[in-house]
Amino acid sequence: MFALDPLFSGTFDGAVFLIVLAKVVIAFALLLVSVLFMIWFERKLHADMSNRLGPNRAGPFGILQTLADGIKFFFKEDLLPDRADKRIFILAPFLSLVPAFLVFSVIPLGGVFTAEKQGIVTVFGRETYVQLADPPIGVLLILACSSIAVYGVMLAGWSSGSKYPLLGSVRATAQMVSYEAALGLSVIAVVMLAGSLSTHDMVMVQAGEGFGGILPRWNLIATGVVPFVIFVIAGTAELNRPPFDLVEAEQELVGGFHTEYSSIRFALFFLAEFMNTVTMSAIIVTLFLGGPAGPTFFGPALMWGPIWFASKLFLFLFMFVWLRATLPRFRYDQLMDLGWKVLIPISLGWMLLLASLNVAGDAGWNTFVVAGAAVLIGLVAYLMLAGAIATSARRREQAELEGSIR
Amino acid sequence: MGQYLPVFMLAVLAILFAAISRVASQLLAPSATTVAKRSPYECGIVPGRETLERFPVRFYLIAMIFIVFDIEIIFLYPWAVIYRNLGAGGLFEVLVFTLSVLVSFVYLLSNGALDWGPAKQSRVLSPMVSADRTTLTTVRRVGLDGRPDGDVNHDEEAA
Amino acid sequence: MVAQNVFFYLLAGIILFSAFRVVTSNNVVHAALYLVAVLAAVAAEYVLLAAEFVAATQVLVYIGAIIVLFLFGIMLTRAKLGSDQDLTHPHWALSAATAVVMFGVMGYALVDQFHWTATPLPADTRLVSVDGSNSATVSDSVFTAYLVPFEVVSVLLLAALVGAIVLARKD
Repeated sequence: MFALDPLFSGTFDGAVFLIVLAKVVIAFALLLVSVLFMIWFERKLHADMSNRLGPNRAGPFGILQTLADGIKFFFKEDLLPDRADKRIFILAPFLSLVPAFLVFSVIPLGGVFTAEKQGIVTVFGRETYVQLADPPIGVLLILACSSIAVYGVMLAGWSSGSKYPLLGSVRATAQMVSYEAALGLSVIAVVMLAGSLSTHDMVMVQAGEGFGGILPRWNLIATGVVPFVIFVIAGTAELNRPPFDLVEAEQELVGGFHTEYSSIRFALFFLAEFMNTVTMSAIIVTLFLGGPAGPTFFGPALMWGPIWFASKLFLFLFMFVWLRATLPRFRYDQLMDLGWKVLIPISLGWMLLLASLNVAGDAGWNTFVVAGAAVLIGLVAYLMLAGAIATSARRREQAELEGSIR
Repeated sequence: MGQYLPVFMLAVLAILFAAISRVASQLLAPSATTVAKRSPYECGIVPGRETLERFPVRFYLIAMIFIVFDIEIIFLYPWAVIYRNLGAGGLFEVLVFTLSVLVSFVYLLSNGALDWGPAKQSRVLSPMVSADRTTLTTVRRVGLDGRPDGDVNHDEEAA
Repeated sequence: MVAQNVFFYLLAGIILFSAFRVVTSNNVVHAALYLVAVLAAVAAEYVLLAAEFVAATQVLVYIGAIIVLFLFGIMLTRAKLGSDQDLTHPHWALSAATAVVMFGVMGYALVDQFHWTATPLPADTRLVSVDGSNSATVSDSVFTAYLVPFEVVSVLLLAALVGAIVLARKD
């Protein structure tokens, strides 16, 4: 396995710097454009699903609507609430936006992932990947960014000095933190297959010969679908998107943590939110659907990487809008129950099951015995958890009967 | 370290982007604040009280439990990278590690640290206000509360 | 290597300044955020020293979990907005002296161990680590040489959780 961008293995000179600069600017522009598209796409599609017209004035099919809205934000008055903690109030949008950008830097966007090419392209005589950076801890960088993004939400709500933002941000922080655990656990299954934390390696692993010649070699299938489902659910919750949008439940919290924000500061939060949606889809595609890897047909092989990536990405963007248009919002106790009592135990158990099966396969143990033992252990664990939940429910009922509920 | 140069540059670009849009908006936007505009938003009502001072301790507990799980996860990542080389020994170690976390998790659950909603109602509701009615018909479930003849809920609570 | 040195001293400056502000700031939330700055800069130093996994752990555990807990504790209980109060402890001089002594002891231990010699950084992280990732090297030692501490950590976590529940629930 060969991690690390080959661009930096040689001497570092001006040409390398220029290539890096070009890649950064292109990635930046690409991300902004895709976010503008996503906002329009969500409004249009959601309108279609609820039998409305949606944006249809600015440009053909209203496609320039987002741009128009964005420009309008510049001309709106920027208010700094009296009770706000000024410095933190100003800092919070940055803490939301910058991590949203950074996640995109480890997403492979293209390249030919065959055994010879290894996803390497040659630009101006230098070999590099079609991804901004490939640090050896790529996946952890993604998790780190999402844990920093929590600060944007938390501090925005607290520094506003107002009731609704504070409530929204406390809810949001607890929610994001809870689902981050499930998110991290479900990724471990993918890491086990790749034997590496680098996102490029993960795409390489999924680019090989497919299962049975028909199914692609995606981690989605190789990890047995469960981690994928958990990751998508936890990812949706991490984004605070419906049905997990209790953070900005408008009936109770007005706008949630950004109620007091106006003008461009609000626009930055809005941008970060949709950027996170795009990058989360990109992460799902990279980890579970093989990223830009896929069969090539006619024309230059290099063309197909971005095409595959974009079409897979589009699938998940569609899914997020569909979820929003379809599902009602969770209740807070349902949200917490789902995260802690369902997703975390299942992802942990599934990960250990996969590991024991693989280790058993390597050691030449009888697979059926191992699977039987695993099922037994899983059953015991399930009974313990179910017993604990039942005990707690009984205690609470008793407490309520005695009228001493806290 | 070169690997992180693009990440660093993207961060700088993102900060610049946010800062420049901020400055641009400052130049373009009108500034005519009033006290009313700058007061906390409370749906048009003049804010009387300070913001909440105390929150349920459960939020704090969640953050505490998360630390434990976060550390568990961060230990699992390096193991997942080379678990095939470590073989049965490594798997056993991780199982023991997970078991200890599971035990404390079970303790937490049984103590209700992760319970949020109201306790389950064990009271049997009258058929007039059963959940079936709401899923079967579009008639909104109102029950018989406050009606002279059939104050069902009240009777049951008394019983 | 020049750029690396420049960044090292830049980050060291940020760490020193933020650490100073942590103890001098009159607003608890600001102090906690300066602590975040210290931890983030330390994580960046780890990256410079080719210890990327440690850096990621630093961000995930300290910034992502522990300071969030601090902030929760502060925000949910006492810190009213803009309530700057005099937070200086009456025995601050004693604490400062303790800190200086601690610094001296740790500095002495370091110098005693390495004798002012510079350990050169690996020019290419791939040369020293398995699979191009130093989490592989970390895991090699965690699951072999440091096995006992690793399992002790799990017991410590157990104790922490039980302690949390006992503290939080006063029935």
